[in-house]
Amino acid sequence: MPQKIKIESLGIHLPEKVLTTEELMAACRHRPRLDLEKITGIVERRVAVDEYAGDLAIGAARRALAMSRYAPEDLDAIVCTSISKHHRPDEFSFEPATAVLVRRAVGAKKALVFDVVNACAGLLNGIWVLQGLIRSGAIRCGMVVSGEQNMPLAWTATREVRHSLDRQLAALTLGDCGAAVIVDGSPDEAHGFHWLDLVTGARHDHYCYSQPSARGGGGILITKARGLQIVGNRNFPAYLKQALDATGWDLNDVHHVIPHQVSVRAIRQGIKAVKRFMGCDLPDAFLCHVEKYANTTTASHFLALHDFMLQGKIQAGQNVVLVSGASGIVISHATFTLDDLPQRYRAHVNGGA
Amino acid sequence: MRRCRIESLGVSPPRRRLLAWGSLQHAVEAGERCLEASRYQPADVRVLVNAGVHRDEHVCEPAIACYVQHALGINIDFHGRRTLAFDLLNGGVGMLNAAHLITAQMLAGEIQVGMVVASEVNTDRRPDPESTFASSGAAMLLDISPRNGDGFGAFVFDTREEHADLYTAVVSLKEPRGRLLLRRRAELEDAYLAGASAAVTEALSRDGLRPGDVDLVVPAQVSPSFLRRLPGAIGFPAEKVADFTASLPDTLTTSVFLALDRARAAGSLGPGKKALLLACGSGVTVAAVTYQF
Repeated sequence: MPQKIKIESLGIHLPEKVLTTEELMAACRHRPRLDLEKITGIVERRVAVDEYAGDLAIGAARRALAMSRYAPEDLDAIVCTSISKHHRPDEFSFEPATAVLVRRAVGAKKALVFDVVNACAGLLNGIWVLQGLIRSGAIRCGMVVSGEQNMPLAWTATREVRHSLDRQLAALTLGDCGAAVIVDGSPDEAHGFHWLDLVTGARHDHYCYSQPSARGGGGILITKARGLQIVGNRNFPAYLKQALDATGWDLNDVHHVIPHQVSVRAIRQGIKAVKRFMGCDLPDAFLCHVEKYANTTTASHFLALHDFMLQGKIQAGQNVVLVSGASGIVISHATFTLDDLPQRYRAHVNGGA
Repeated sequence: MRRCRIESLGVSPPRRRLLAWGSLQHAVEAGERCLEASRYQPADVRVLVNAGVHRDEHVCEPAIACYVQHALGINIDFHGRRTLAFDLLNGGVGMLNAAHLITAQMLAGEIQVGMVVASEVNTDRRPDPESTFASSGAAMLLDISPRNGDGFGAFVFDTREEHADLYTAVVSLKEPRGRLLLRRRAELEDAYLAGASAAVTEALSRDGLRPGDVDLVVPAQVSPSFLRRLPGAIGFPAEKVADFTASLPDTLTTSVFLALDRARAAGSLGPGKKALLLACGSGVTVAAVTYQF
């Protein structure tokens, strides 16, 4: 059996400024006639002020290292998985790789560095990459980090959205956050990732894309939300079942399911799709906190893990499933059993370390 | 010892066309040539990595690899045989990073066949004069070599983040549709040469080789001046360093593999020969790996 990897440490960098959905909608030049808060369930999000995507990534990386047993110079790899690469105002940076900037900031002098980009599945994709490097013996431990400064897309949407069916509306559901995860080999079979799988259904690559605006400055996010949701919900439950089967779990073995935090409605639709596919009632295991933080794209699952560990809802020894849908369309699932990470995390954060 | 090998290589070299090709066209052209020359079917590809940096319309989501997967018809539907497609960005060394990752996944038993593609195009309507480069594409299919010892040796990546500002590529979002601003400072070639010296020494050392064991060094075709200085920096005679800069401009991520294709076509490399691949890029990162044909 291949070696399991585990989450050794976690770091979340949340900007302090809170922006409500009402405030964001009020900023729209042509305010659409819809109640976005009611439709999505998103009440507020965090917004980076005077810091950029690279800063969010570096902040998260430093927090993860502060709790880790590894020093920066111990890290064998840093993989940056941000979609947003806004390191300065009105710029999107392709080179150098953001991972290089993280390596320089934290002093990880021997780390292999590169960026992996796969829309909202990026951070799970990065963990999959590190899993292969660890299992092959190429590295011992590594960090996956994302700094998502998504709000520039939202600000473009406030300028360009024209009506209630505008395809930039989804950009108004975004929020900013940095997340970093340090992974290494699990010392036992009971803890760590049991299953980590990503699949791309490229026939559906047209449902969501992001690029510079043709109408003015800034970047845009175009989403055919309904189609994306329909295709995703039609296909992901079978992969979820496969993940559970491969792990040797049934739904009653799962303590928590963390879906990609897109909107309350999207999460509910996803639960319905699983229920239809499984043909049975589901345990109350699906976690949702999108009301507070909106869609933080690649950071979404690990922001939720952070939040629910701090609330005491997620405990050591519990079984967790991560479910992700991303533009591409990429469907990904991970199953893992937590070691003492929740206790360590609470002690570290509450201890003010 | 089991190694990963290049089962098939396909390139879409720079060329003059009435209508300029986009990055997707170059990537797909290279991918199709690669698949035509392979014994594998598209459906066999379990992982597809796009390592190209500069893309049509500066799209940053979804992964460009998804579009390439779609165009090449590689398991594009859910269920049945599956493919994971994603982008890897690390400037000029991205294709070797991707080969390294795929090698690891193969040695870990996760996958059997992987594909790496890259293409580089500046599609700006009014390109910044400093940000022009020859557009191209390259693709390779990777599998586990059936013969012990053939294929890639140890991958070495030498990153000198103190030089990160020597090479930057940003898309300015102040202008409609964005505008690529690629900046390479004069000291960049010195940083490449310093990195190349260290990376080559380590790659040879980790494979237990001496410079005399290598038949041909295949470097990124950065510039004629870089190619002139490179043999001295890495301790190889000039005739053992492939220099195609007279006819092959710098094509960024695809450069090493366009040069490798040229060297193979010229008969400089083939069964029994040993090459040293050397890529350079922003970071500043230099990658070196030996390859036994």
